[in-house]
Amino acid sequence: MSHAWIDGAPAQLSDALAAAARLLDASRQPLIAGLGADVAGARAAAALAQRLGAVVDHMHGEALLCDLDVMREAGAMLMAPSEARARADTVLLVGPGVGETESELTQYVLGAGVTGRRVFWLCPGADPGPANKIAVIGRGVRELPALLAALRARVNGCPASGGAVSVQVLDGLAASLKAATFGVAVWSASRLDTLMIEMLCGLVDDLNATTRFSGMPLPPGDNAAGVQQVCGWTMGFPVRTGYGRSYPEHDPWQYRSARLVDSGEADCVLWISAWRAAAPEWNGDPPTIALAPADATFAKPPRVHIGVGAPGCDHDGVAHHAMLGSLAALTASSPSDALSVAAAIDSIATHLQTGPA
Amino acid sequence: MLTCIKGGHVIDPANGRDGVGDIWMRDGRIVETPPGGGADESYDASGKIVMAGGIDIHSHIAGWNINTARLLMPEFRFGLPVRPGTTPLSAAGWPAFEIGCAYAAMGFTFVVEPAVSPHFALHAHLELADIPIIDKAMLAVLGNDDFLLGLMRAKESPNAVRDYVAWTLAATNGIGVKVINAGGSASFKENVREFSFDDEVPSYGVTSRQIVKTLQQAVDDLGIPHPLHVHCNNLGIAGNVDSALATIAAAEGLPLHLAHLQFYGYGKEGPRGFSSAGARLAEAVNATKSVTIDVGQVMFGQAVTVSLDTLRQFRARHQAKPRKWAILDGDGNGAGIVPYRYRAADFHNAVQWAAGLELFLLIDDPWRVFFTTDHPNGAPFTTYPEILALLMSRDLRSQWMATLPADAIAVTTLPSISREYSLVEIATMTRAAPARLLGLRDRGHLGAGAVADVAVYENDVDRARMFRSAALVFKTGALVVRDGMPVQHGFGRALMVRPERDHAIDRRLKTYYDERYGLSDDLIKVPGHAIGRPEPFELISCRQ
Repeated sequence: MSHAWIDGAPAQLSDALAAAARLLDASRQPLIAGLGADVAGARAAAALAQRLGAVVDHMHGEALLCDLDVMREAGAMLMAPSEARARADTVLLVGPGVGETESELTQYVLGAGVTGRRVFWLCPGADPGPANKIAVIGRGVRELPALLAALRARVNGCPASGGAVSVQVLDGLAASLKAATFGVAVWSASRLDTLMIEMLCGLVDDLNATTRFSGMPLPPGDNAAGVQQVCGWTMGFPVRTGYGRSYPEHDPWQYRSARLVDSGEADCVLWISAWRAAAPEWNGDPPTIALAPADATFAKPPRVHIGVGAPGCDHDGVAHHAMLGSLAALTASSPSDALSVAAAIDSIATHLQTGPA
Repeated sequence: MLTCIKGGHVIDPANGRDGVGDIWMRDGRIVETPPGGGADESYDASGKIVMAGGIDIHSHIAGWNINTARLLMPEFRFGLPVRPGTTPLSAAGWPAFEIGCAYAAMGFTFVVEPAVSPHFALHAHLELADIPIIDKAMLAVLGNDDFLLGLMRAKESPNAVRDYVAWTLAATNGIGVKVINAGGSASFKENVREFSFDDEVPSYGVTSRQIVKTLQQAVDDLGIPHPLHVHCNNLGIAGNVDSALATIAAAEGLPLHLAHLQFYGYGKEGPRGFSSAGARLAEAVNATKSVTIDVGQVMFGQAVTVSLDTLRQFRARHQAKPRKWAILDGDGNGAGIVPYRYRAADFHNAVQWAAGLELFLLIDDPWRVFFTTDHPNGAPFTTYPEILALLMSRDLRSQWMATLPADAIAVTTLPSISREYSLVEIATMTRAAPARLLGLRDRGHLGAGAVADVAVYENDVDRARMFRSAALVFKTGALVVRDGMPVQHGFGRALMVRPERDHAIDRRLKTYYDERYGLSDDLIKVPGHAIGRPEPFELISCRQ
């Protein structure tokens, strides 16, 4: 079975690696995107970016920076999932995508722990799911900004109109949140925007005037949270950092991968998605090298496709563990000879003409 | 290969050397002067000062905390020399790579990351592994974790605590144990907002004092060379000198290390109810021979406080400068990151600056006081050269004091202190003593058999310039820095201890992790293969 393809045709791995290096060498502004990789893959990607003058982004860059922007513009109280599971007597789910059927992490937090725990869900979206023990308040995410603002006002004893929800319901919720002894708010930045998250984090902070409450953003998957950490210690910045001027510069707008591709600024993409065949979100069709599972298929075929293994399945690795809330070692569940992302990048690098070896 | 550093002024307090001589190195170790003495490679050090590589026992250089500070503050570059705006790296961040280069440029070859929650151990080691040139180590933090407090509540035997401490070090590959506001984070989870040495942790019924004493005894019993490393209660609060004095008194003859003591050196005297208690603390340290301390010197400028003292960081969050912060209710201690800017014109900040210098200058034994800024809490580690210069010159201190608020200096004893550190005392404090404190027999000195970590400095009357940029630095015998510029970027190791334990505790923790977390305890372990570098760890032995 082949592990490498050039223009859709099976190829020798060494030829595919050399072809990938030629595309990157010929590029004026390479982009390393997707970045669904383990810690070793992200380290290798950062080193490659430095060598090529490339931009680094993650397929969940928008969600990562949504949460980070709130922290670095205002502040945030956070809670480790294991603590939420063991101690939280009040859980406030916020917005779509955070139910037990949608999130293993929510399932983990609600799966054990405190007796008499109360669970609320603000604006779950169209289908609240199995909400038999969950108090649902508000419906669609469109109602959420006004609802969060009104709730925060009522928690602080300020006048507010409930909008779609009655003030009595809001006051009841505010009283319940203030009665929590250790509460946690859960959200998914993939489904909210920065202003909603900032209002929610402000609400959580305000609740700490009299009781204990923290927030728990659901990590977006594809090791986004782990890659963000690796970017921090290797480049000094989060994702959306570029080495175009040889030193790292971080700019969430300029280095958003879809913008770079659709504007034509990025003229070659190294697309990395080791766990699944994720598709890029852009419309353009730049020359692309894909490091993805060997059985991945693409709507827009890449110029070069190198099959890579999944960390924790084909090979050992390190990735962010959602329930631990930290980086953890992964052991291969069915070891194979599939290349790791780090090995693929290092092999491409040996063929490069650009930059110091 | 035989290498000789010829004719320098060798200052090696551990071996009583203070005079002109040669240093010989072979295969990464210091060797005796060989008979015949033909070196393969020779470096002229005449007129220069030769010391062992510097050792920093307390600098937050790796892990979730410092990395979150990076993500929180993309606009700042802590700990790195300011580059002119036009040079290529002037806009770069402060990644792990530059930390190793900046330490090596100052002649430091070993640094300890002092605060790692066990659940973040692998993360910390991955960052440490990406710091080039220097060797490193980390302290595992216990004392707010449910398992330990549960053992104490159940009045289990000291053996159980010992085994648990040993298990933690085996899982996390630490070199020692730290306790941070013992019981304070656990109490904060139950909505306690003030917590002192004799306060009880709700739900557990144990006091902060009992936690410190329990861990101190366990560390000593296990023969871990580094004594329990203590971050006291009530950091940063006026009148908190009482917390530090109570902790010092609680040492009761056993070794105890108090971290960043400056942050506990505050009284309530003077017209503004805030004064330096540095002199009182120094007196207590001088009288308590089993206690060692590091200072946590404050210098003026932007800093960021990163701490596992969640209660303290929570209380300080709305004083953040700039106004942004992160608090984590985590397993055990949790964490908090709060930026802060120390201003020379600020009364409180000036008192803090003076209190740190009082500790340095009034503690008379350089074997028991250590050189830190608690990087990046009091100042970045790159301010060390300026602090060394202040310690070595009364005139320089007077010049600084003349620019600070007079009412602040008036509530300190700093103007009355005439002591000036000698180079021998500097070498003791930054080389010989920290090696002894960590149990590193082959570091911090230049005797035969030591690891060939050597720093050569110009004997410059401008001491800050001298220590900012070493003329030559050798790491394990290889030249790594010339004229303050790194010339080689190899990767050192993380040193660790592995005290013995009864493996019954392993089964117990497996059950505990399963029941409390629904997770495997294997998740917090640090397998060598996960680090991604050859031989990332080095074991050092415990006392027998």
